[in-house]
Order: sequence, then C-alpha cells, then structure tokens
Amino acid sequence: MIRNVLANVMHRPATRSAPATAVPIVPGYRGGVTFDHKECNFCGACATRCPANAIIVDRPGRHTEFDLFRCVQCGACAEACKRGCVQLATSYVPPVTAKPTIEYTERPVTEEQSER
Amino acid sequence: MSQRTVIPFGPQHPVLPEPIQLKLTLEDERVVEAIPHIGYVHRGIEKAAEKMDYTQNVFLVERICGICSFIHALCYCQGIEHLMATEVPDRARYLRVIWSELHRLQSHHLWLGLFADAFGFESLFMEFWRNRELLMDIFEKTAGSRVIISTCCIGGVRRDISAEHLDEILRVLDQVEARLNTTIPVMLKDAGVRARTVGVGYLSQDQAIKMGAAGPVLRGSGVAQDARMLGFAAYGELGIEPVVETAGDSYARCKVRCREAYQSIDLVRRAVRQLPEGDIVVRPKGRPMGQVICRVEQPRGELIYVLAANGSSKLERLRVRTPTFANVPPLVAMLPGCELADVPVITLSIDPCISCTER
Repeated sequence: MIRNVLANVMHRPATRSAPATAVPIVPGYRGGVTFDHKECNFCGACATRCPANAIIVDRPGRHTEFDLFRCVQCGACAEACKRGCVQLATSYVPPVTAKPTIEYTERPVTEEQSER
Repeated sequence: MSQRTVIPFGPQHPVLPEPIQLKLTLEDERVVEAIPHIGYVHRGIEKAAEKMDYTQNVFLVERICGICSFIHALCYCQGIEHLMATEVPDRARYLRVIWSELHRLQSHHLWLGLFADAFGFESLFMEFWRNRELLMDIFEKTAGSRVIISTCCIGGVRRDISAEHLDEILRVLDQVEARLNTTIPVMLKDAGVRARTVGVGYLSQDQAIKMGAAGPVLRGSGVAQDARMLGFAAYGELGIEPVVETAGDSYARCKVRCREAYQSIDLVRRAVRQLPEGDIVVRPKGRPMGQVICRVEQPRGELIYVLAANGSSKLERLRVRTPTFANVPPLVAMLPGCELADVPVITLSIDPCISCTER
C-alpha cells in the first residue's frame, strides 16, 4: 500500500491538461463527415446506405445535404461513395450554436460560362 | 409487530448504470418481496430493425448496448451469414475474437469499478476505470472509435489490424495484466468487500438452472456453461474452459468475472499469435432467406438472436434475448431475506445491462 502511494505521488499527472495541450489525432479515427462536392454525381449511394437517414440526395434537383448531428459516424457512406467525395474527419463534430449541415446544390452552367 | 413499507429502488440510483425500478417490500430492515418494473430505456429496436435494410441493421443492433456493442453486431452478422450461406474468412474470425475479448475485458473492468463504487470504495473504482482507458485507446487506434467500434460487417470485418497495432495490443495487455495483478487482490481480499459480498445474494445451482440464469450468475452457482463452448468465430480453434465458482453468492460472481478477465487476456494473446493471413471480408451474394437462431456469449451471459427473413431487403423479424433479461428473475429470487443495504450490491452483482434488456 505504502509502495503504491509513493509511486502515485512521484508519478507525472495521469491526465492531459486540455485544452492547453491538443488532443492527439489518431489516424483512422471516425469523426464527422466531410464532403468534397467537386466529384459528386448525385448517385445517392451514400443516402441509401446511411443507417441514420442523415443524408438527403436529390438527383433531379442536384442537391446533397448531410445532417451532421444525425450522423453516427459509422463510415457506411464513405465506403459506398465510389468517387471518394465522402470521407470521415479525424475529429468529432464539436458543440456548435447552429445546427450543422453540409448543403450543396450544383448550379447549372449557363451558356456564356460554357463558351468561355 | 413488524411494519411493512414499500420502497422504490430506482429507476435512478447511483449504483445502477441504467434505469430499472425494483419495488421493495420491507419488513423492518429485511426485504420480503421485490417487484421489477422495466421500460425506462425501451427504444423499439426490434421494430426499427424491421424498417431498415438488413445491412443497416448492423449499425442499429450494435447500439443496443454500449458496453457489449461488438458482440451484438457479431451475433447479428453470424445470423445473416448463416441465412446467406456465407463462410467468413479465417482472419476475420480471429479478428472478431480479438475485438470480442477486448470488449469483454473492458466490460469486466467497468463492472469491477461499479461494484467497488457500490460499497463506496471510490479509489478502487477510479483505478479500474483508469485501467479501462488503456483498452479504450486500443479501440480508438484499431477501430476508429472508443465505444461503438463498428468493425463487424456481414461477411467479415471492416478493418484489418496492422502488425504494429497487434504488437501494441500485446504490450498494452501486459500493462493491463500487471495492473489487474495489483487491483484484483484488493477487490477479492479486502475485509470490507468480503463482509458485504460473502453469503449475500445466494442463488443455488438448482434455482439458477430452473430460472434460466445466464453468464457469471449461472457460472457463479456452479454450472459450467459458456456459450463460447459452441465454437463460433474462432473459439473452436482457441478452446475455452468455462470459469466456475460454486458458492453462489455475490462474492462468487465477482470472482468469476475477475478470473474471466484473465481468461480474456489469455485468449487475445493466443488469437494474436495464431492470427492467419488472408482476406478480412467476403461479399455475400443475394438476400437472406429463412430463419435462424444464433447464440453468443456476452460479458453478461448468453445472447440469443432469432432472425426471420423472407428474401427481401428488410428482415421480417428480429428477436433479441439478452442475458440480463434472463437474470432478472434470479435477481428477484435472491433479494428476499436480505437487508436494504444489500440490495444495491446484489443488483449490481448480476451485472445489469438494462439497455440490453429493454432494447
């Protein structure tokens, strides 16, 4: 018992002094969803696989929406996406003051823009 | 003239990890009768499982319980694999054993901490939970998440464990074993702990069998039954001896879990050493059809899943029988005759996981 007490007194602190020290990033950690809209072709595979119904994909309307609070960070969408648009970040979704959603609507390319 | 009072134990009580209410009828200080009321964490998981795709259900069932989550997913995936006649690759089977046993280890650490807290032994509670953090860090590194690890999938596992992580698992297990060697003797030999658990909450072998007790409650009363003896995943190759104590009281159940923690460390070490090379997943073809009953061993006892599928993408029925559901009648039988102060100790000694019970 005495040995245990002395060992504990001499030991460095067992806790990390957050937020002064940053939380170490663990590679492969399943954090919140990130979305790279450049490659998205609105196939809807991520929405079909999502167990939490956190993804809405509107193919005719060219609109994608991710509800980050409904997301359970399972990674099924990241596995389903064939173009690699959907990935999981390396940290969790922090507390926010407004409901976090990632929304993207593809703007139709006008004639002047396509000529350029 | 002894007076009868009815005292509600729960649903909120410091020793209970999840809410359950026991209406205790007391005569002076002795419990005469206990009537359980459940339903405080019912989430309708079985109904939700009928509404979701059978592939999405894996993520649903692993959230039935946070402490034994991987083993729920394992049982479900084994059932679906049976219905789709899929053979899981060898490496996946061993990886499933590694994660299941690490889950069992962290569950027993959690329980040992809560049990110490039930007597007010807070420093031992903190020690056990600090040691549990080593295992949670392993889950974070190998599976991406600390509690709901989401690595089991239909046909195998979703992630592989690299060679460095396997070495790290073995190193951390050495540390965990060293810390268990200092903390478990405190739990088992302390005079205060023994005074509160030896002879308290006695369940005879006959009662345990007749009432359908499961897990350490059953094995603490002398019945050598462990669902891992069925040989699912890689347990057949690794071999398992059920850990049995004969005293039938809370101390015996505590001792069963302490010895099972060492057994889990040994199993993980052997599984890591015997881990074969190969694929980690095989994509099953078609849709599940038929009915299957599968059983696995959770940290709390035997878990039974009944799946009924009719060839569509949604299951017809998912029935989950969790071990705490089977252990509530033995609990109600153990309580009469004890004092009011023994009720938290006895309730915690069955390792109640009410989220599992109520799904």
